[in-house]
This record gives sequence, structure tokens and C-alpha cells, in this order.
Amino acid sequence: MVGNPSGTVGTRFYELVAILTWRNLKVRYRGSVLGIYWSLLNPIIMTAVYSAIFNATFARYYQGSALRYALAVFIGLVAVNFFSAATAQALPSVVSGGMLLNKIKLPPAIFPVSMVAAHTFQLVAGNLPALAVITILIARNPYHLLLLPLPIAAVIILSMGVAFFVSSLYVFFRDIPYLYELVTFLLWLTVPIFYPVAIVPEQIRAFLWLNPLYPVIQSLRQIALDRATPDLRLIGIALLEALIVLALGWLVFAANRRKFMDFV
Amino acid sequence: MPGAVVALQDVSLLRWMKDEYAYDLKNQVFSILEGRHQKQTRKLVLADINVEIQRGEKVGLIGANGAGKSTLLKTICGILHPTSGQVTATGNIVPLLELGAGFDPELPVIENILLYGVLLGSSRKAMLEKVTSVLQFAELQDYGSVPVKVLSSGMAGRLGFAIATDVEPDILILDEVLSIGDEHFKQKCRRRIDQFWQDHVTVIVVSHELEFIRQSCDRAIWLDGGRVAFDGPAREATSRYVSSIEREALETIARLR
Repeated sequence: MVGNPSGTVGTRFYELVAILTWRNLKVRYRGSVLGIYWSLLNPIIMTAVYSAIFNATFARYYQGSALRYALAVFIGLVAVNFFSAATAQALPSVVSGGMLLNKIKLPPAIFPVSMVAAHTFQLVAGNLPALAVITILIARNPYHLLLLPLPIAAVIILSMGVAFFVSSLYVFFRDIPYLYELVTFLLWLTVPIFYPVAIVPEQIRAFLWLNPLYPVIQSLRQIALDRATPDLRLIGIALLEALIVLALGWLVFAANRRKFMDFV
Repeated sequence: MPGAVVALQDVSLLRWMKDEYAYDLKNQVFSILEGRHQKQTRKLVLADINVEIQRGEKVGLIGANGAGKSTLLKTICGILHPTSGQVTATGNIVPLLELGAGFDPELPVIENILLYGVLLGSSRKAMLEKVTSVLQFAELQDYGSVPVKVLSSGMAGRLGFAIATDVEPDILILDEVLSIGDEHFKQKCRRRIDQFWQDHVTVIVVSHELEFIRQSCDRAIWLDGGRVAFDGPAREATSRYVSSIEREALETIARLR
């Protein structure tokens, strides 16, 4: 029987998110089995380009190793690409779900959540194994493998918070994508992906902490590339900042939820 | 009150008017800076609605375009929340509003059956068991793995109807009487709807076909400008509605003279 009067609100939410996530993945990959590994192709190509251009200048900051520089770039790109793709696709999700929201009683949160969930699946199935292999080969410490999921969780939580925020703004302001493009570019540039932190002037470096992606990427690099024990405080900051962003994003979303219906 | 499956108490609904809205952050920021910002207004679309619907009742909603019929349906479904007042609806509400809105054109028919079914309130597992019967009813057995975009609009309509009605709703919501597909399929739809009609399903239907309302509903609610103008036996409601239209027409003619 369609209709689920016995089901709780929680299982209904889960069913909806699961089916929409699955739909998002299906539509993206159109049945290609290798689909999720395409998500590795972009950071690999970018890493190759950055290495070709900057390696000669920057390798000395990475113990003179071209490989370490390339891996640091790759790790940074994995996290930042996930963040920008997940949030950029979640941005129009409430509006595109508007027709459904107007016909069936649905919690609007399922749209941004299922978009971030689809990207999370791709991150965990496609990119996390690569990061794990790097950790085993470079950091050579199995204990680091246990820490690896923590900054990954932080970037997922962070993206979810931003997704709630931008998807609710887009309901009211359709010119947000132009603005958001600028914001993601700034976030991308102010987190040391292809340049070493050491080249950033001392006075400016403190501002890097304003970027919530900064602790995520730095701790990912420590976990995957350093033999020394990673800075647990850094992981803690990454998680804390992510949770704060999630709380704020959800507050904005929840406060406007009912108003969505008049504007989508 | 025992037996009431739908109850609206002093329900009023204000809605933001989106046709007056600019949807543009840049313009809004500039208009505030230049002091020419106009405050958004809200319009009263439902006012002081008090309605109780008993289990098994067949209720028609009538009234002019923009009188608030669809809005009232959406409020009963829980899609819109009243600005003031209380709405309670018990049981499984199935809306049959413009079928096929939940389809993803790129996905195959079978996957759309799962998707649409879950959106309408089922679980994926329950829908998996229903795929065959839905395909059969929609007469699309040979199209299971074809993307929905390939189907004709008639076929997609059939599919939507088959999914939405492969259910035992407690409350069925119909926005306009359905006319899908060819004569043969229309008959089939009619039979299935008639079945709901005979069972103890509560049906709420919006229609401009007054003859249909008179024949099929026990009761009709006439909405005028977001208010209940009359609530009672379908025959009386429709005739009052018709005579008010005639009166208005006569007044218009009189003014023109």
C-alpha cells in the first residue's frame, strides 16, 4: 500500500533521501559502471597541471619531493572539489524540487540533503580509497587510517551546512549563483591547495583560518603524508567549525522552510 | 468529533504574492540603498474556513478560478500551512494532482515507478512488489526499461495514474476530473475511481464540471474569494453557485446599459 501511516517521520525522511540520492547518482552516471571513478579524473589532471607548472618552485617546501608536492595538491583538490561540486549542485535543488513540493507533502530538506549525499557516496567510494592508499604508502601508519574519516566527515558536514544555506537563499534570490561562484573561487584561492602555506605572509596567515576548509585540508595532509602523529586539535577545529556552519545553515533553512512554498 | 477525518478550524492563509516579487538580490540591495524599496505584501487567500469532513464522505469543491479551491486542497494535504487556525487530517492522503509531476524523464519506467511511489509515501521495498501490477494496469509491460521521455504524454499519464491509484487511500484528493488517454483507458480509470467511491474512502474533488459534482458528491463546498459561501448538499450548492454567476452576469449587463 502506498502511504506509510505506520512509518515514523524518520524512516519516511530516510526513504525519500535514499531514493533521491539514488536518482541523482543514476542521472549523473547514466548506467556507466566506471562512473564514480570519473570523480578521480578531475583532481588527477589538475594535479598533473599544477605539478608541471609549480613543482620547480614549490617542491623545496615539500622536502624537495615532487611526489609529496603532487600528493599534497591532490589531497587539497579532492576536498575542495567535493565541497564546491556538492554545494553548487545543492544550490538550485529546492527550487527544482518546487513542482514536487507543490503537489506532494514533502520535507524540503530532502533536496539539498540528497544532493550532498550523492556527492558523499562518490567521495567515499571513489576518492577515499585513493586517500587510504596514499596514507598506507606515505604515512605508513595504520593508526592514521582510523583518523582519515574525521576530516572527511568534517568536509561533508561543512558542505551540508552551506548547502542548506545557499539552497534556501536561491529560493528568494535567483542571482545567487553568480555571487556564489565568486565565493567558492575565494574559498578555493584562500586555502593552500597548490601553494605552500609557508609562502603566505605571516600577518595574512591568520586569516586563512577564517576559511573552514583550511583545517580540513591541513589535517588531511598531516594524516596522509606525515609520519608524525597528526595534530588532533586541528581535526577537532575542523569538526567544530563544520558543525557550527551546519547549525547556522540549518537555522536559515528551517526558519524559511514554510515560506519556500510561496516562492518556488 | 468522532468520524471526522478532516477538520479545519478557523483556517486563514496569507500568501506572499510571487508575481510582484523580483527574485533579485542585487536589485533589492540597490532599491533599499536608494530608499525605493517596496515592502512585500501578503494576500489573504483563505479566510476563516471551518469545515469538517466525515469518513467516507464525497465532497466537491466549487467556485470561480482563484477562489482558493486548489489552495484549500493543498492545505488539507499539509503542503501549505495555515497562517492561523488548525488543520487536522487523519489517515493516508493520496493526491491525484496533475499526474506525472514526480517523473524523471531520463530514468527508465520501472525506476520511475519506484521513485514516484516513494515520493507518494510508499517504501521502496513495497514498490518493488508492485512494479508488475502497475505496468499491467498502465498497459506498459513492454516499456519497463525505456526512459520515460520516450513515452507519449498519454502513456506517461497512464503510468502516473496507475502508480498513484495502486493504493488504498483513506482520503483521495482529485484536482479536476481525470481525462487520460483514449476512451478505453478513461473507462478503466473511471472504474478504479468508482471503486474508491463505493469503498469507505473519503474523496475531495475540485471540479468545474458541476454536473459531475451534482451526480457524484453528497456534499459540495462553494468557495468565493477564499471564504466558504455555502456548504451543504451538492445539488443546493451547485444551484446557488450557478444563480450567483447568473446574477453577476445580469448586473454586469445592467451596468453596461
